[in-house]
Amino acid sequence: MVKHEDVRAEAKKLLESGKVKYIIAYELGADGWKANPVFIKKPEDVDKIIWGPTCYHNLVRFVVDEKRRKAQQKNPDTRPVGVVVKGCDSRAIVILLQEKFIDRKDVHIIGVSCETTGVIDERKLAKKLKGRIAKAIEFGSDENFLITTDSGTVNLPASEIMADRCLECIAHVPVITDVLFGEKTKRTVPQPFGSVEKIENLSSEDRWKFWNEQLEKCVRCYACRSVCPMCYCDECVADTITFAVSPDTTAEEKAQKIKWLDKSPVISENIFYHMVRAIHLAGRCIDCGECERACPVNIPLRMLNKKLEKEAKLLFGYDVGFDPEKPALISCFRDEDPEDFIR
Amino acid sequence: MDKILAKKDFPRWLEALGAYDVYAPQLIDDVWNYELAADPKAVSLDYPQTAIPAKKIVFPQREFFFEFREADTDGYELKELLPEGKPAVIFGVRPCEGKAVTLTDLVFGGEIRDDYYWKRRNAAVLVGLACASPPSTNCFCLSVNGSPHSKEGLDVLMTDLGDQYFVETLTDKGKKLVSEGGAIFHEAKPADKKAAEKIHADSEKKLARELKNIKDVPAKLRGMFASPFWDDESMSCIRCGICTYLCPTCHCFDINDEVESQTPLAGRRVRTWDTCQFPDFTMHSSGHNPRPDKAARLRQRINHKFQYFVEVWQNYQCTGCGRCITLCPVGIDIIKVVEKVRDHVS
Amino acid sequence: MSANVYLPKLAKVISVKEEVGGVRSIKTFRTQFLDGGFTHKCGQCAMLSIFGKGESMISISSSPLVKDYLQFSILKMGRVTSAIHDLEVGNIIGIRGPYGNAFPIESWKGKNILFAGGGIGLAPIWSVLQTTLLLKKDYGGLTLIYGARTSPDIVFKEELADLKSKMTVHLSIDVAEPDWKEFVGFVAQNILDKKPSPENSIAITCGPPIMIKTCIKALSEIGFKDEQIYTTVENKMKCGIGKCGRCNIGRHYVCKDGPVYSWAELRQLPQEY
Repeated sequence: MVKHEDVRAEAKKLLESGKVKYIIAYELGADGWKANPVFIKKPEDVDKIIWGPTCYHNLVRFVVDEKRRKAQQKNPDTRPVGVVVKGCDSRAIVILLQEKFIDRKDVHIIGVSCETTGVIDERKLAKKLKGRIAKAIEFGSDENFLITTDSGTVNLPASEIMADRCLECIAHVPVITDVLFGEKTKRTVPQPFGSVEKIENLSSEDRWKFWNEQLEKCVRCYACRSVCPMCYCDECVADTITFAVSPDTTAEEKAQKIKWLDKSPVISENIFYHMVRAIHLAGRCIDCGECERACPVNIPLRMLNKKLEKEAKLLFGYDVGFDPEKPALISCFRDEDPEDFIR
Repeated sequence: MDKILAKKDFPRWLEALGAYDVYAPQLIDDVWNYELAADPKAVSLDYPQTAIPAKKIVFPQREFFFEFREADTDGYELKELLPEGKPAVIFGVRPCEGKAVTLTDLVFGGEIRDDYYWKRRNAAVLVGLACASPPSTNCFCLSVNGSPHSKEGLDVLMTDLGDQYFVETLTDKGKKLVSEGGAIFHEAKPADKKAAEKIHADSEKKLARELKNIKDVPAKLRGMFASPFWDDESMSCIRCGICTYLCPTCHCFDINDEVESQTPLAGRRVRTWDTCQFPDFTMHSSGHNPRPDKAARLRQRINHKFQYFVEVWQNYQCTGCGRCITLCPVGIDIIKVVEKVRDHVS
Repeated sequence: MSANVYLPKLAKVISVKEEVGGVRSIKTFRTQFLDGGFTHKCGQCAMLSIFGKGESMISISSSPLVKDYLQFSILKMGRVTSAIHDLEVGNIIGIRGPYGNAFPIESWKGKNILFAGGGIGLAPIWSVLQTTLLLKKDYGGLTLIYGARTSPDIVFKEELADLKSKMTVHLSIDVAEPDWKEFVGFVAQNILDKKPSPENSIAITCGPPIMIKTCIKALSEIGFKDEQIYTTVENKMKCGIGKCGRCNIGRHYVCKDGPVYSWAELRQLPQEY
């Protein structure tokens, strides 16, 4: 069992010693039961830190923000930031290290094990609660979640309300840490790509129909991209809402910059955006599931990325986001890599 | 004129509305949204809150301004593309969304009228549904001059009395819509009105959240423009567009030319939703950006809603629907932010 | 039935003149409406449409007293302005407007007017300069203090030479050049050097943001009050009519409530531009 007090004590130690600038952790939101990211700068604030089944956010996303912030400053504070990570989140740090986006000394990794369960899917929980309003949620015993509602407590099996990605999780214990809380439990996942296979087994017409229907719903809010730690490009090829312009950028360069996508949220543009993003995440997506959770219209986005994670494994025997010493998938090759797609 | 409509007769009303595009809340992949009601019998008004508010009917996310085509005479041919087709009727509109439409009316009206908005708006019939209980755990309409049974912006207000609806017609458009239903409506009895009024009064006590004492917030905000408060509050913002795209009162838009053919040059000028939260929203061609960071952009959103709009229109540009709170991926809570502004000591 | 405000009117380019060449090219265009048109007031702007590329909000530099054409001077900056720079005589563009507020020139009658501009900043104040020149007897002394980075960057070169015979003109460039006989330094420094009197005067300043800031400071130093100093503000714009939400400074939309502001008004708004 991961105890809040232990995490808080570690945070306090780090802040008091000045070892880290601030700590990115989880706190309880205004509703009193769902977690939100919090930035703890002072030791006296560590009591805000919590750990629970609603800590689904990938806090490594804010490590990316910290790098951007430092880039803007003249004399940045070069101390690391502390960041609380689950297993999936820690794999994001591995990717950022592989890609040399950050240095190991930029982060102090406070790992938390998901032990035998994981985080919840709010929509699944709402369906189970059938109108009852959740007030608090904790890890129960025996792989249950204990939920306090406005009309009594409910014990629900974790498997029924856990996020889909937790059901297929291959890294429930963080793979890289400076300190680890919780037990290094052993878990096997019989079908790590089960959800992808369900879609793969559809005929190509049905698959195309499925994705057209889903991506029709997209309103191009870019929450999926914005919440992803690996989508850190200052200027996104798929659709730019940030255009890196300096006083030296000539009018010609600006005039000739190709606009790959129209802003209109029509199916052609939506498909292009999501496909390009999925391909740019090939070998980089670590299935934290945030894209899907953030989507306000519930498009099963992690399927797209998961498919490419499966390809990485099948074609190249590559496990995404485990070994920071290994090169990034698309920046290396081996002589024995399959070549049957080369004709 | 108050009427009663038995719930079992509700589909017959929809079936009588062939002259309209009928929108109603529908559950698709676990998300409620206003969509065309293909099957009147499948429509239920027993729903919480849509993800995308009713504004999308009068102010769609994408609409065409005009077509342009290179021509031999006069260089170009321009063809205005004003909205056509059947008027829309939207069922299940929550009072906060009705009130929000009165606020977007202020923006798109005035001395210079936006013909595209008004063509849709004048034709659309908004059928409200009183909130017997809050559709969301983050509702706070009462705190921003709204109410769970407000009639602002609506043409009809329906109140669920159990196995029937109490139907109040509020405008001529509403009257016409009800008359399309004909004999399925019955005169409401005084007891029905009393029952509806009780539901309305009770509903005001059920809101889980409030934003109290915000009278001085506009003045407070004026003094906080340069405050580091915004840096702290915006630290977890991931700069997506959810809070603004899904806000019933937000109206920012972009205008772009979409080229469909190069020779001859032809295409359409298109309007799409935009958001002050995207980094490039205010960026000049030169690269200069008056709002280069998240702090400035969060400040703009809060200031626009609780200071600037108040100064120009004497209304908060927020109707308390709570969508931005519920759907923000990192839980940035507008109630909390405004409370902190209210209590801020510099 | 009033016309659809988003629908531009077609206009023909009747002249193109390169004011400044090179990377930061400035060209002056004159346009004539094919049918109908509008009259404008000094300081107002119009949205120029290059179909397929987009629109750009540009100050109308010609005086409202000139009925034959509208004049725009445009700095090549990005996608739409580059397309504008590719225009040739006879090409058709779209124009909608006039947008924004105007310089209150009626209330300035009898006063001396100082125009302080830098670079392309002469273009937004050109209409009010030309108008007061045409109505010279209604106004006091007219003075122009204008500068550019280098002498090739000066706009309206021929017009300025002609202007010297009609009003006081002080030019400057930032760095000395062999044949340059006039002031060397920034426009703000030239203001402090020439010390125009604030007595019964109005000052209008326009140019790059840094120049506006320094000129306002210089003018205040020599005694101009906040209400006597005017400027034009620019911001990224799309609709031009105060609805798309993009160009606001506080509660004002620059396209509708601006672009003309007195410094007294502007300093009341959040300094976010």
